[in-house]
Amino acid sequence: MKDVEADLQDQITRYLSNQEWNDLTDQVNRLANDPQPNTLARVFTGVPRTIRSADAGLRITFDGAVSVGSGRLPLLIKDWPLARLIRVWVLMNIPKLELSAYISLIERLFQYGEMEELAALYAALPIYHYPTEWRFRCTEGVRSNMAPVRRAVILNNSYPSHFLDEGAWNQLVLKAFFTDEDIVQIIGLKTRNNGKLAGALVDYAYELYAAKRNINPFLWILVAPFLDERAYRLMEQIIQESQQTLTRKAIAYAFETGNFVPATDFITRNSELTDLKNTAGTPWDGWLNQTE
Amino acid sequence: MGRLAESNRVRHMCNYSERDRASMGERVALELDLVKGFRFFDPHIHMVSRTTDDYQAMADAGVVAVIEPAFWVGQPRTGIDTFRDYYSSLIGWERFRASQFGIRHFCTIGLNSREANNEALAEAVMELLPFFIYKEGVVGIGEIGFDDQTAAEEKYYRLQLELAKEAALPVQVHTPHRDKTKGTSRSMDIALEHGLDPGKVIIDHNTEETVKEVLDKGFWAAFTIYPFTKMGNERMVEIVKQYGPERILVNSAADWGISDPLAVPKTAALMVKSGISKEVIEQVCFKNAVAAFGQSGQLDESMLAEHIVIDQGQKFEGNSILRGGQQPRRDAGSIIIS
Repeated sequence: MKDVEADLQDQITRYLSNQEWNDLTDQVNRLANDPQPNTLARVFTGVPRTIRSADAGLRITFDGAVSVGSGRLPLLIKDWPLARLIRVWVLMNIPKLELSAYISLIERLFQYGEMEELAALYAALPIYHYPTEWRFRCTEGVRSNMAPVRRAVILNNSYPSHFLDEGAWNQLVLKAFFTDEDIVQIIGLKTRNNGKLAGALVDYAYELYAAKRNINPFLWILVAPFLDERAYRLMEQIIQESQQTLTRKAIAYAFETGNFVPATDFITRNSELTDLKNTAGTPWDGWLNQTE
Repeated sequence: MGRLAESNRVRHMCNYSERDRASMGERVALELDLVKGFRFFDPHIHMVSRTTDDYQAMADAGVVAVIEPAFWVGQPRTGIDTFRDYYSSLIGWERFRASQFGIRHFCTIGLNSREANNEALAEAVMELLPFFIYKEGVVGIGEIGFDDQTAAEEKYYRLQLELAKEAALPVQVHTPHRDKTKGTSRSMDIALEHGLDPGKVIIDHNTEETVKEVLDKGFWAAFTIYPFTKMGNERMVEIVKQYGPERILVNSAADWGISDPLAVPKTAALMVKSGISKEVIEQVCFKNAVAAFGQSGQLDESMLAEHIVIDQGQKFEGNSILRGGQQPRRDAGSIIIS
């Protein structure tokens, strides 16, 4: 825990002047000792004013998941503005108060948040105390119409796959397809993939196909373990019509692994498709080996 | 001057019933060729009441940034929660919506004069304001000032001037429609009495009657352009000719009433036609707004020079600004800033 704290602090100090860092730690210490709503609101909102010397265009990425101590899910820091990193760090420093006091303290920030503040608040879902209490808040984030806010929940966030029920989780994934997000960045998707989700994705694929619109090939990877007659009918058509290698590769992979006899027969019958079975270089290549 | 004063009365936004349809004349078309290459900043426009067609037309006409002052929504609010949600929308959804058209959206936050008269609610709003005024992109306290010029209006105007001082933010002052000249003088006197720097106060909705005093006292003078008649634009041209471009701002104050979100580029086009130099036009239609509201520390010219990446396709969903089957507008020539 200490090491991780130190690591985050190290990252933050790198971009700030000594004065700014001192101001920030003063504020956070005050907050840790006496977490008053008004103090928190002031510190949290004031972050960009505290760090004026930092480059506003700066974006920070950590390799892999950052463990932030027992009882907390890891953070995935990908392409964060510095203010977001600092805000999440501020939130980590709020002591574990009694449940209702803790929740209302943070909920108040959500209620008054501007766009980038909201993105930080949602990105911090993995580190809040009382993790089961944030389920509704998480679904609110998925429902947000502001792309940066929604993205902070849907992508590179370890909270939803651990705490959302199947219905809410499936909505998250469907929304990611609707908003054209990078599906690989949904954490825990491989583990939480399910038959109902696959069914909804196939419906969506039919809809897109009828409208002659593109279908994200990743959709077929999620459908693969639940391949059935309805899915197969459409996929068989598309693999023959499509000019896009990724689409053909995704469907070939689904046919090969899907445990649906007509699909495996199709692959056997069409030996010219063998090359398509190679997943190297596809977006789902590394993803398929994920255990989380 | 009598006729001029008469038309002045209907020229100011924020009060639908006081706009006289008959005096508005024909809609003036924007001659885009005349303002090609210009960048515009509309420092007073209520985008929550406007459609995406307006955003599109504004972007096409060269509007790169707007300021949305908090104001009255056309009928009285009955509870504090609707105030909070309204303020939240100014720093959230509306900001995002504007960005989808490559337009930077800033706002000023305040309790408008009309609703200052509901004192119970006004008290609650005053408690709410500190939660919003320190947010990113909030470039001032506004629009505040007088409407009926009641005691309650004065009380909350004064309290908000103190708030602006404490937060070191500019103030955007709405001047009254009725008894305008006196109301404008009084607004300025009170601001000075509270020790505000006139260089941080933007007096809005000026007329030929008020401009001289506003400028003489060192305040910024903003003009709201009356929508469909050339009269508004032509008068603006005359004012710039007479007073020069120093501390003069042009805005549309477009809202839920009959108003024109293209008022700034249209006025600029008329200025071009009238032989006013490009430098002067840029100053009153762009640079002065940056200078006045840049004093908030939330806005500067380099920020506006950055090109916003428009990629509506990124946000495509049934409930977003693009609806089922629409083709997103992508900005192929954009540079990604990271």
